[in-house]
Amino acid sequence: MPQGVQTLEMIRISKSFHGVWALENVDFDCAAGEVHAICGENGAGKSTLIKVLGGIYRADAGTLLLDGLTVSFAHPAAARRAGISIIHQELSLLAHRTVAQNVYLGLEPTRFGILDRAAMRAGTARLLTRLWSTIDPDALAGDLSVAEQQIVEIAKALAFDARILVMDEPTAALDEVDAQRLLALVRKLRQEGVAIVYISHRMSELAAIADRITVMKDGRKVVTAPVADLPIDRIVRLMVGRDLAEFYPPRSVEPPGPVLLSVAAAANRWLFNIDLEARAGEIVGIAGLEGSGKVELARAVFGDQPFERGRVTVAGKARDLTTPRMAISNGIGYLPNDRKREGLVPQRSVRDNVLLALRAFAPALWRAAGGAMTNAAADERLTALDVRAARFDGAVDHLSGGNQQKVIVGRWLARDPRILIFCEPTRGIDIAAKAAIYRIMRDLAARGRAILLVSSDLPEVIGVSDRILVMRGGRIVGECPAGASEEAVMALAVGHDCTAPSPRAVDDRAVA
Amino acid sequence: MSAAIVAPRGRRRTLRVPLLLFAGSAAAYFGIALWTGQPRQLEIEGIIGLLQRMVGLGIVAIGQTFVILCGSIDLSVANLISVAAVIASYIMQGQSAMMLPAVVVVLIISVAVGLVNGAIIAKLGVNPLIATLGVGLILQGLLSASFNNFAGSVPAEFQAFAYGGVGPLPYSVLGLFALALVGAWVLRATRFGAHIYAVGGNAEGARLAGIRTDLVIVQAHVICSVLAGLTGLYLASRLRSGAPWVGRDGVYDLESIAVVVIGGTLLAGGKGGVAGTLAGVLVFASLDAAFNMLGVPAFPKLALRGAIVILAVAAYAVRSKEHVA
Repeated sequence: MPQGVQTLEMIRISKSFHGVWALENVDFDCAAGEVHAICGENGAGKSTLIKVLGGIYRADAGTLLLDGLTVSFAHPAAARRAGISIIHQELSLLAHRTVAQNVYLGLEPTRFGILDRAAMRAGTARLLTRLWSTIDPDALAGDLSVAEQQIVEIAKALAFDARILVMDEPTAALDEVDAQRLLALVRKLRQEGVAIVYISHRMSELAAIADRITVMKDGRKVVTAPVADLPIDRIVRLMVGRDLAEFYPPRSVEPPGPVLLSVAAAANRWLFNIDLEARAGEIVGIAGLEGSGKVELARAVFGDQPFERGRVTVAGKARDLTTPRMAISNGIGYLPNDRKREGLVPQRSVRDNVLLALRAFAPALWRAAGGAMTNAAADERLTALDVRAARFDGAVDHLSGGNQQKVIVGRWLARDPRILIFCEPTRGIDIAAKAAIYRIMRDLAARGRAILLVSSDLPEVIGVSDRILVMRGGRIVGECPAGASEEAVMALAVGHDCTAPSPRAVDDRAVA
Repeated sequence: MSAAIVAPRGRRRTLRVPLLLFAGSAAAYFGIALWTGQPRQLEIEGIIGLLQRMVGLGIVAIGQTFVILCGSIDLSVANLISVAAVIASYIMQGQSAMMLPAVVVVLIISVAVGLVNGAIIAKLGVNPLIATLGVGLILQGLLSASFNNFAGSVPAEFQAFAYGGVGPLPYSVLGLFALALVGAWVLRATRFGAHIYAVGGNAEGARLAGIRTDLVIVQAHVICSVLAGLTGLYLASRLRSGAPWVGRDGVYDLESIAVVVIGGTLLAGGKGGVAGTLAGVLVFASLDAAFNMLGVPAFPKLALRGAIVILAVAAYAVRSKEHVA
């Protein structure tokens, strides 16, 4: 536990945007060799706080102390020089440059003004070894998996002798196994004396990794306490003022209806021998590690990367879904895993985004068509989903992740689809919005739709689904019932039987 | 103690595309020379002639490579080339004593245009296409208002730039390859070069890594404009005088962009280099030479150039799609 002078101390930090307080008198500190987690809903002020720390924003008031000395940063470069490194939520690697070039970006070593590429390569290799990685420093960053890219981001953060490392949802895009490995790395860095500020929406992670937890809400600090004094349900209560029990909506007691989607012996370049059925009224979870083929399965059903062999029937009729447009015509909707790139038209208004799918099938003179495509109808739909936006004619870009996801849900509801595919629907959105998305999914099922839920978040798949299909290597390798244990699902996903080591054991082996 | 977190998957990509283009255009040139029974084109003089065709477009395209790599573009180069050619020959008026002042003035104007382009793009946040189009139109307007024909002339000493040489090698060809080497070296071996790739690849990521992205963009534009100015000086030397249409007639703006993308540089920035650009210039130069040997008029040549640009970029697009999948 901390004693004496803290490595990092932030005292009564305040910051406002356009007269709205994003941070109000927030105190925060972190010691060398400590993992201090920050949690809170989106908009609670976590990101603003670390942006002040990283020199991206300047605080309106408050003091920043490093080793007891007051500092202030004019540019992100100054914070980096002072030993503060931030790994931002969105990865910022240059896809066409090598790992070494990425790691030393902005602080390239030179000899007589010439890049010292040998030193960059050697330094990168050293950093990667320290991170237990064997990534080739000469590999192109774009060729790496997401998990490997995350390792490179950490190496980049450590390249400048970072003493304070801020990680903003580092496991958000990772599957369970890679996430466990990353946590093991965080423990190692803590042992080496790095002060680590850790932001995450995954509650189980906080219990596993943090020494202390700070809960934020509405720009204020609610509490800072050792992790032992803050059980998960209490954290959730502090964050949203609600109990965890209400988090996952209750399952339907009625048996599911007729089969709406059936795929038989289907395959393409990424998928092999896929058989699955989804019935009206049920939520079918699809779990698996990164690269297991679960996203490819969603894309295949939606006709984006279509099946090349096998049979697909929608509501009893054989269908050949070779484009998204054909899938949509047959009553299928798809919420893509990459909201920003595949889901939204960011600069267009909230209304335009919610009407996108409807307009795609409208007659050429859709404005004259009226009906469901009027502003009033769009607003009604948005209000029904409780989309919170300052204005519905403002850009959808300004909405929080949870509200953006609701806009995409609304887009599909306008088409009244029979089958909806949710792909990582709660990635990077806060806990209250997550609960809202789960309720919407359950409501849709109750009204006779079939839902496919593709997710890397194990507690989510288990908590929401009526049954869970587990994928590995492009195949469906097993099925688990509702409420199965995480160990059972993980065992199928990594290819052990149920008596094999639990995920924790896998993790320990990687560390050992 | 330490188990591997991830498996190595390193895969080096080579200079394959530039080499392929070099080989392809050389083969086409040789083939047509033999087929049309003009073996003299394959002797030293013929080859030098081919290389000389590369100089004008080559110099400006090296500059264009810099701005495109950092995610910008420069449509004002053709007009700046005209300005440089006219100002140079106007100041010289055939007197060798005025050579140095003329070159200095042209370089000052070029740096100023680069600074203006860069500042409008990086500081005011104007889209580079619009910013440089506007600056180009302003330059052309000022020039056409002041000159309507060949203005002045360059002294014989200055013509040596285009017509003189070391042994069989003209200064201009040597100059082009020297500039290409320096350009490639700057991009490959200096911190500035690394930052150009970073700004073009991910401007926000570069900023958060502490790079002064606006300065990088301004510097790239200054380099591009100075090289355009040099092209103007070269044209004045070759034509013995500058006219306000020399840049526009050479279509240096669009052709410099075309050869950069033919050479494999991403139009969005972040990937590519000078070697590819030079290969693209060679493609155009050997195409010109081949059509001359065949005695075909200029318009089919233009159409074929267009087809080559589209084919090259389509080939890259298909390759990158395969890579993603």
